[in-house]
Amino acid sequence: MTGRDSGNKFVAPALMLLLLVTVYPVFSVIYLSLQRKLLIFDISKFVGLDNYVFLLQDDRFWNAMKNTTYFTAASVSLELLLGLSIAMLLHRSFRLKGPARALVLIPWAIPTVVSAKMWEWMYNTDFGILNYLIGSKVNWLGDPFWAINAAVFMDVWKTTPFVVILLTAGLQVIPRELYQAAKIDGAGSWDIFKSITLPLLKPVILIVLIFRTLDAFRVFDAVYVLTGGGPANTTETLSIYAYKVLFQTLQFGYGSTLSVVVFFCIGCISIFYVQILSRDMKR
Amino acid sequence: MCILIAGCSPRGDHQKNATTLVFKHGKIAGDPAKFDALLRRFEKENPGITVRDEVLPSSTDEQHQFYVINLEGKSPDFDVISMDVIWVPEFARAGWLRDLSHLLPGKEGEDFFPGPIEAVTYQDRLYAIPWYIDAGLLYFRKDLLRKYGFSPPETWQELVGTAEYISNREKGIYGFIWQGKQYEGLVCNVLEYFWSNGGDVLKDGKAVIDSKENIQALGFMRDLITKYKVTPPLVTNAVEETTRHIFGNGKAVFMRNWPYAWNIFETQGSPVKGKIGVALLPTFLKGMSASTLGGWQLGINRYSRLPAEAEKLVLFLTRADSQKTLALTIGYKPTRKALYGDKDLKKAQPFIAGLYEVFIKARSRPVSPYYTMITQVMQPEFSAAISGIRTPAEALRSAEKQISHILRVEE
Repeated sequence: MTGRDSGNKFVAPALMLLLLVTVYPVFSVIYLSLQRKLLIFDISKFVGLDNYVFLLQDDRFWNAMKNTTYFTAASVSLELLLGLSIAMLLHRSFRLKGPARALVLIPWAIPTVVSAKMWEWMYNTDFGILNYLIGSKVNWLGDPFWAINAAVFMDVWKTTPFVVILLTAGLQVIPRELYQAAKIDGAGSWDIFKSITLPLLKPVILIVLIFRTLDAFRVFDAVYVLTGGGPANTTETLSIYAYKVLFQTLQFGYGSTLSVVVFFCIGCISIFYVQILSRDMKR
Repeated sequence: MCILIAGCSPRGDHQKNATTLVFKHGKIAGDPAKFDALLRRFEKENPGITVRDEVLPSSTDEQHQFYVINLEGKSPDFDVISMDVIWVPEFARAGWLRDLSHLLPGKEGEDFFPGPIEAVTYQDRLYAIPWYIDAGLLYFRKDLLRKYGFSPPETWQELVGTAEYISNREKGIYGFIWQGKQYEGLVCNVLEYFWSNGGDVLKDGKAVIDSKENIQALGFMRDLITKYKVTPPLVTNAVEETTRHIFGNGKAVFMRNWPYAWNIFETQGSPVKGKIGVALLPTFLKGMSASTLGGWQLGINRYSRLPAEAEKLVLFLTRADSQKTLALTIGYKPTRKALYGDKDLKKAQPFIAGLYEVFIKARSRPVSPYYTMITQVMQPEFSAAISGIRTPAEALRSAEKQISHILRVEE
């Protein structure tokens, strides 16, 4: 009993700090989201759930939600598939394995804004290397269909290395004996992958999914630099919309409403994954 | 020794000299030394006042954000500020600018072009003095027009005809390029079509964007790409520099752009040197040609501790002789009408002197303290219309609904 008491005392300072830096801001944003607030014009009025009602009818919000969901689903699934394949390849022993691993990391090491600027030039219709290579005149960033996919492609290029690192680490802890035993029993490589690699890699895959889904759902800098949300908001994600409302047009009330909704979605995603993960651990 | 040490200390100390004015502005085009010389002339004329100029990032959005944050925080750290033409009503409404009406007494305001004066006026008071001006122009290839026997187009329909005819006969050359990416530049482009068709965005403080004239004008812009095919689809992601590169490489007959591109085209080694002409933008209705106004204005921070000295600097920089110097040295276009008849300017910068017609017709974007919010609505809707996601009618109906919602904020 006393042990638990003193334990509580020990964690108290940390808890206080957490309250200060996370709980307080969260509640103050929720409070802001219930106001009509234009700071610079001294307009500040409590409007209850008005902002939330407006949000439900706001086409631009639903459009951003759609874009964000598409971006997240497309980029995360591609990154996982590609990342898994590359990790498996890099896990085999071959000459130049070290340099190959280092090379894979390069896109991840370049700052996001720099790579977005780089891709902006590569996607350029007239002078871009992409159209030069495939000999076309595709309007990558100006065409509503291509723009969002161009953003997904850039994100896949940039973040697959991150997935590769985590999965390679996961592969390394799988005991070699299991593979040897399976081979002796005459299992084919697909069977080995399905019955040994995948199940043992599952916790790592879940962690990758958590990180990547949350990151992709909040995506801002990469897309903002690449397209600014255009054409016609077809690449405007929730974070970009919230940024524009909060910092370009300074509508603190409605901007906070948007942030609260993003926060809520992210909360749901996290809980979903953590549930799966803990169920998986128990087994 | 003491004096030496004092002289060496950086000028940006916390202890600000009582008579040091701080002047914030964006990057000066051209040679900064020339601009510096002008500031030193001010110091000579006003003994006891020194000016320190501090340059902000070149992105207009970042400058806006800098001012909003610092002025909302009542910062007295800068005195004179340089503002984009669309900010003044917002800053004035927020109470961040000193009323400068007394600096242009009587009819002195009429010495300036009407567009910028309209843009710096909020509730019948002047909150800034126009410093230099900018406006949209039609660039065309003199050589190609001559070769096929065309004169510069006066209507949009004529432009389509000429662009179609020439681009069908010249290999690898686009007809007409402009700025269609989802950003402020797109709004500048679209408004020129609206105005030249008799349309507008706001009237008497109400949204009137969903009009027959505007739907027609926006539909025409879409048609340029899909129906007439004189504009390549790449414009839906083009900014000023994108189009400037294409036109500068000789790959387009017509281009809409700001005056800055002229000097770049006329430098040694440019593929289009000597082959270019400029004209007023075409129009739908006779005599309605309109350019979107750009340019920068000087205002004074309400929280400045040196308002009297700051007024002197604003008056000095917007004076006729200073504007003339800036026009001659770094190519800033004067806001005072009389300078366009000036002999020296006509001789040294004939291009600038020839822009009088354009500037007198330049119109300001909707003058409203809520402009930054209104443009955030217009940008995606216009982009949707020109890239074919929504019809012009749908886009403008949606824009009108959202703008009306914004304008209701004060109720």
